[in-house]
Amino acid sequence: MRTLLTVLALLALLGAPPAGAQTPGVTDAEILLGGSNSFSGPLAFTGEQITKFGVDLYFRVVNDAGGIHGRKLRTVYYDDGYKPQEAVANTRKLVEQDKVFALIAPQGSPPVVATLGYVEEQRVPMLFPYQSSPVTRGKKWVFQGMTVSDRSSRMMVDYLAGQRKIKRFAAIYQDDEYGKSFLAAFEKDLGRHRLKLLAAESVKRGVSDVSAQIAKLQAAKPEVLFLVLVPGPAAQALKERQKIGWKDVLMVSTGPLTDERYLALAGDAAEGVEGLSLWPDPVTSDLPGVKRYREHMTKYFPKNEPNRYSVAGYFAGMLFTEAAQRAGRALTRAALVAALESTKGFESGILPPLTIGPDHETQKQGFWVRVEKGRFKQLTDWLRSE
Amino acid sequence: MTTTALVHVVVSGLATGSIYALMAISLVIIYNATRTLNFAQGEMLMISTFVGWSAHEALRLPLPLVLLIAVAAAAALGWLVERLVIRHAIAATHLDVLIITLGLSLVLRAAAGLVWTHDEFPFPSFFRERPIGLGPLRVAPVSLGIIGGSLALMLALAALFRWTRLGRAMRAVAQNQRAARLMGISVERVYSASWVLAAVVGAIAGVLIAPVIFLSSKMGLVAINGFTAAVLGGFGSMPGAVVGGMLLGVLENLAPLWLPAGIKHSVPFLLMIAILVIRPSGVLGRVRQRKV
Amino acid sequence: MRWAAAGAGGVVLLCWPLLVPPYFVFLTSLIVVNAIVAIGLNLLSGYTNQLSFGHAGFFAVGAYVAAVLTLRAPALPVVATLALAGLATALVGLALGIPCLRLEGLYLAMATLAFGFVVVEAILNLDWLTRGNDGLAVPAARLGPLALGSDAAKYYLVLGVGALMVAAAVNIARTRTGRALLAIRESEIAAQASGVHLAAYKTLAFAVSAFYTGVAGGLFAFVVGFISPDAFDVFLSVDFVAMIIVGGLGSIPGSIVGAAVITLLYDWLAAFQNYRPLLFGLILIGCMLFMPGGIASRMAKWTHQAQ
Repeated sequence: MRTLLTVLALLALLGAPPAGAQTPGVTDAEILLGGSNSFSGPLAFTGEQITKFGVDLYFRVVNDAGGIHGRKLRTVYYDDGYKPQEAVANTRKLVEQDKVFALIAPQGSPPVVATLGYVEEQRVPMLFPYQSSPVTRGKKWVFQGMTVSDRSSRMMVDYLAGQRKIKRFAAIYQDDEYGKSFLAAFEKDLGRHRLKLLAAESVKRGVSDVSAQIAKLQAAKPEVLFLVLVPGPAAQALKERQKIGWKDVLMVSTGPLTDERYLALAGDAAEGVEGLSLWPDPVTSDLPGVKRYREHMTKYFPKNEPNRYSVAGYFAGMLFTEAAQRAGRALTRAALVAALESTKGFESGILPPLTIGPDHETQKQGFWVRVEKGRFKQLTDWLRSE
Repeated sequence: MTTTALVHVVVSGLATGSIYALMAISLVIIYNATRTLNFAQGEMLMISTFVGWSAHEALRLPLPLVLLIAVAAAAALGWLVERLVIRHAIAATHLDVLIITLGLSLVLRAAAGLVWTHDEFPFPSFFRERPIGLGPLRVAPVSLGIIGGSLALMLALAALFRWTRLGRAMRAVAQNQRAARLMGISVERVYSASWVLAAVVGAIAGVLIAPVIFLSSKMGLVAINGFTAAVLGGFGSMPGAVVGGMLLGVLENLAPLWLPAGIKHSVPFLLMIAILVIRPSGVLGRVRQRKV
Repeated sequence: MRWAAAGAGGVVLLCWPLLVPPYFVFLTSLIVVNAIVAIGLNLLSGYTNQLSFGHAGFFAVGAYVAAVLTLRAPALPVVATLALAGLATALVGLALGIPCLRLEGLYLAMATLAFGFVVVEAILNLDWLTRGNDGLAVPAARLGPLALGSDAAKYYLVLGVGALMVAAAVNIARTRTGRALLAIRESEIAAQASGVHLAAYKTLAFAVSAFYTGVAGGLFAFVVGFISPDAFDVFLSVDFVAMIIVGGLGSIPGSIVGAAVITLLYDWLAAFQNYRPLLFGLILIGCMLFMPGGIASRMAKWTHQAQ
């Protein structure tokens, strides 16, 4: 039995394909990219916007202009429904069966974290995962997409406690990785200012009423309440504050939350809310890159309204294209990583000039906004987290 | 915690609780007729609310008309589902029917995502949100409105079961199908009527709650709380469903006030297990004799 | 003839990693893991008619026990790890099963559904042990000096354990215990009248079912290599129920086929993105409308006709 197993194991080794013969996913005619994302489950809307209306939008623009060094871009996406085990299966299928060149814009901490070990081992570039936990740090083949929670927290706390001299903070947070990583970062950053979180209340994903949490937080009398939530519960928290007539508090939304959707849901309850914005306003911004994004959206997907998720995907597509252009005609995974690592002062027209350091973080900034007449008004220039 | 705040939290809990109660009632209506759980109840609520909202967006209809359209859509959907799918599975086991409703819930949610996207949308409300003073207390009209609307619907249902021919037929079928058939009641018609009625109750609950939890393809998950509420009240009993729903809504809101973070989110489920183990017939129920 | 076919099947299973790319080896491992759960669930639901919507909870307990043991006691051989995962889960199964003895049908389904939620909450709150929402990266299982890191090694582990579990299940079904369980399925009251100790057997079925699911959970942790609470939601329990109903209640081959069908469907439908749940739901409905009793009863009909 043991000999049989040994023989089988040896055969398995022999049967493995020779390494490094040709770069997977790159032919003379095309480059194939793929990603596991949410097309069902709690983040289905975000997933679809990032991929089909974001990354693919930019790639259509590139393809219509002749592609990258004559190669057209093609993408394949699999649904993981926000489940880590399905993300692992999908990622393996993309790498081993579809032989994608790189993984692009996967979403959500649990699915992304579950695949990190595999992509490092297989040396497949994972480009711009859309999630805010710092777990992607220090990985050779991963380039973080969204501004991570500890950087967001530093910018928020330094601005509010440092510049605005606010002393009393509390937080309402989603009871998961997203909420807890922000909570830990807030406590650390407030500690630097010799302050503490006066109260923190958690909200379960998918819960229908937050009145108890808001009542408890009101009793702590904070000057600022951080909202570390997703759009639905965040809008409920704002409406709840209106219902109990709680006026002497400033509600502040985190980077991942500051978007038009929760404004639309909260209606006039959102007036005066402030927050850290990671992206310029996709609908009203005059930045040249955002204008081009809107033109492209109107041209290719006239029915899809501009939003931050598709901007994030569009930006991811842009960043990949830029690096792949510089990596040259002889595109390999290592060459792409080298090109990304040597990105200096890249002008996207959406975010400030981008230089990617050894930490592989592609976004580290945000600016402060306040809601006035139902839209975000920019209050500061880009805040930095270095 | 001030009394004002406490009263507000309890009233808010009663408001969501009355929606849970309506969900529980619609589940019980179907259970009593066909002895099956309808896992798609929440998704039927979601679809009919979306249909009403679409009419509102396209034609700027007034809200009462939107409610009517949602109810009509629900009735049509309930009738179609029963007629086209469930009735063909009538010879199958209850488990098979369970899986069918489960498949149906996936289909309906995915279809809603394809038609309306998986985004969340604000929904117009009959009631205002800014608080009004009631003596020393302050309450939000929207909470009172939801509670009042739900209670009115419950009374109407009670009247229907007590005084109409259809209601009596439904109660007879719930008690004993064979006897009901022998009495000349068309059991098939009762099946149909149950699905339609359950869907209509769901649609009204949907229009009431959508301004609060927002309209989205995932709003049907509120049905899970409906299950819990129905169990708390003793599955099969209508008054039990009402009490179970209200109890669940209030407990869900009070638990975060006093319990440590570790346990507060488990309260509904721990309570459900406790009720099942100690008193399976629910807080109001009587122990039923087992049939051989 | 039957023996030849079984032999050929066995050889194909043993040589499988040589015949197909690693991804399919991984997928096959997942199928076997799910098949073990399906068999365990079928011992409970198919034989004693106790429906559970909480098996994702048992699955999670097994996965976390195996993962934590591997992290804290790396020297422990994988067989012991899996056995402990199974036993721990069986204990949890007893703890849930005994109070639930009085419950039947729908009520039991509700209690187990709630149990599934409570397990996920417990994992979140025991974060010093489970790292809560961050999840656990599970190192390779060890068998003496061997680290079972490759897909093929994991596959042989899963296949070996799976074969044992199937053999055990077949034997349970054939023994006095199995007949007692079947009698309970047909009619609890009749079984009791013919001297079957109802409570004892139902509790036993609960524990055995939990044991199977716990072992499968442990294997799952090794095969996927990462576990977090999001993996074990109520929809996973529902998938397990779908496996045994599509495959056929009370049938061991049915359990295996059902597990394979559902696992492959997930894999295949992932490419359809937003259409995936739509198609999955339609297939479930179609199966139930046109194949009530599951694939097993249909297979039985075919073989019956062929003879």
